Amino acid sequence: NNSSQLSSLPLHILLYVNGIYYIFYFLATLAMIIYKSQVFSYPDDFLAPDLAVLFLMAILEVPRLYLGFKGNLTEAEAPLGLSLGLTVGSVVLCVYLLLWQTYVLWADVVLNAVLLSAYGLESGLKVTAIAAFVS
Amino acid sequence: VAKLCVCDLLVAQCDVNCCCDPDCSAEDFSLFTSCSVPVVIGDSHLCSQKAAVYSLDVEANPPERIFKIIDQVNPSIFCIHATNYKQALYLKSPEMPTPENFDRLLDKFGGASFSAEPDSWNLDTDVQDPPDANETHRYEYGVPVQTEDAFLRLPSPVVSSWCSDANPAGFLVNQATKCIRSVSVEKCDSIQALSMLFYINSSILASVFQVNITVQSIVVQSLNGMRNVLNDSDVLRLPVLLGELCINVVLGVNYHITYTDTGEIIGAAAAFVLGAISKEALSIEQSFEISFTQENTEPVPLCGNPGYVVGLPVRAGFQPQGYPCPAGFLSNKHSQLTILQSTSTQDCLAAQGARAPVLFGYNMISGCTLRITAAMKCQPLAQTLLDVLKGQSFPEYVASFGNSQAQNVLDWVPITQLHISEQRICNTLQSSCQIPVSLGIEVKWTKYGSLVNPQARIVNVTATITTTTLKQLPSGRERIIPVTSSVVFTDISSPAEPGYKAWPTINIKLPFDFFYPFV
Repeated sequence: NNSSQLSSLPLHILLYVNGIYYIFYFLATLAMIIYKSQVFSYPDDFLAPDLAVLFLMAILEVPRLYLGFKGNLTEAEAPLGLSLGLTVGSVVLCVYLLLWQTYVLWADVVLNAVLLSAYGLESGLKVTAIAAFVS
Repeated sequence: VAKLCVCDLLVAQCDVNCCCDPDCSAEDFSLFTSCSVPVVIGDSHLCSQKAAVYSLDVEANPPERIFKIIDQVNPSIFCIHATNYKQALYLKSPEMPTPENFDRLLDKFGGASFSAEPDSWNLDTDVQDPPDANETHRYEYGVPVQTEDAFLRLPSPVVSSWCSDANPAGFLVNQATKCIRSVSVEKCDSIQALSMLFYINSSILASVFQVNITVQSIVVQSLNGMRNVLNDSDVLRLPVLLGELCINVVLGVNYHITYTDTGEIIGAAAAFVLGAISKEALSIEQSFEISFTQENTEPVPLCGNPGYVVGLPVRAGFQPQGYPCPAGFLSNKHSQLTILQSTSTQDCLAAQGARAPVLFGYNMISGCTLRITAAMKCQPLAQTLLDVLKGQSFPEYVASFGNSQAQNVLDWVPITQLHISEQRICNTLQSSCQIPVSLGIEVKWTKYGSLVNPQARIVNVTATITTTTLKQLPSGRERIIPVTSSVVFTDISSPAEPGYKAWPTINIKLPFDFFYPFV
């Protein structure tokens, strides 16, 4: 255990992979919503909330990842804590897309499950890192 | 899905080859040859769903039906795992009428027909908001001509012969309609459609301002059909009850709309025919017409472009000073090829003036009878008969194409006149009286142009007058001879030879200095 370095390497790797995966996730989900709107009957007042949630999640993701990286690298617990809070919001939106979307395709289930597990793992690692920084 | 059966059409009876029919017994199944409905399933997009599978086991003796409920799995990654939208995969069921929405539903669906967009034809003034006055209002072909409150109406018969006022006039669509309207003399001043005001009330929306419909002329028709043009057409005449008649009732409207070449309407005029209806009349026939003219032009309808169209009049003209005059064929006084028109009296001498235009492609024959008395003199009689047969101004040239211009002298075909005399007794007395008894016009035409769209072109016109000798009658005796005139159209086109383009040749030539150093 390197006592001089408190930053968590697994967290850094996970955040990096999460960023790349999220780009793919965003594009795939957007494409699937477009596909669903063409193939199935998707009235506008059902399409609007789904698109809003997706874009909101994308907007939240950027500061979340940035704060995560910064907090981990500078060994400061404040940005990491803020990132944890934003992760909670992202988890809620991800659960919406998994359960309460208008049409949940099998591919949706897979993508959201993977993202949810990544969030879960990240949150665990962040908590551990905060504990390490505080003590 | 076990209870759904699409092929079960007969109630309480077994349908043939319907494996899911609950009315069928095992003996019926043994007679089937195949299953018409092998599987009953919901939406195939779902990831996993129950399916009822029916099949016939033909190996067993007797054949028996096999019914299984299986879980059908859609292997695609884009199968629907769940939906939170109830009507996603089902057709929308119509609204159940309740006391609250009954009126609304009745308005929408209560008529004889309803469409997905009911508001575009709505004539209510409070529903339609008038378009912005500042934008230029351009019309395209077929677009209904809009007025302040709705559309310019051209009443026309719909389904039956009764007038319907909901027919809009389309821009540049020349129409003429006739329809029957039910009237009653007592209420004739309250029926809107019988008064002039109804037709010129609204003003047409066009470009920046509104175009008022002016009254061009008023023709008054009396009860026996005689028409008079009124001098003052500015006074608005409304229907009024006069004793047993109702006068100033609109019998016909003729709209003339003037437009510019950019599609804006700049003028509108209406010519009315007003008449009188008597007490016994329960319905009258109204006729409506609308025509569009471009500004600064005189409309000359063509009889075909370029070839003649069957049914349109043949254009003819004279050649004074080396120039055929263009024929305006709307009135007979402009030299048109005409033929004697048979009248009900059938008397040649009384039939002066009634002529029918010769229509291309229509062979016609007409005639009259002539009573010859002893007192008639030969020469004036012959001249009169010639006038009757040929008309006041018999043309000398006929246009070979429907759109021949007056300036192209070569496009006009001269009329060849022949005289044939039927002589019963072969005597050399030419001075005995000859009177014309028949005029036969033979028009020879050919097909001209491409094989796919041949145009009719008149090649030759021959007018043959047959004369006969008039024998002197003893006084007191009369003779009746028939006088006929006919028009015959003969197609003299030679059989078509298709012409093919030459095969393309490949023109390869080497440049002359190709083998330069060696040659």
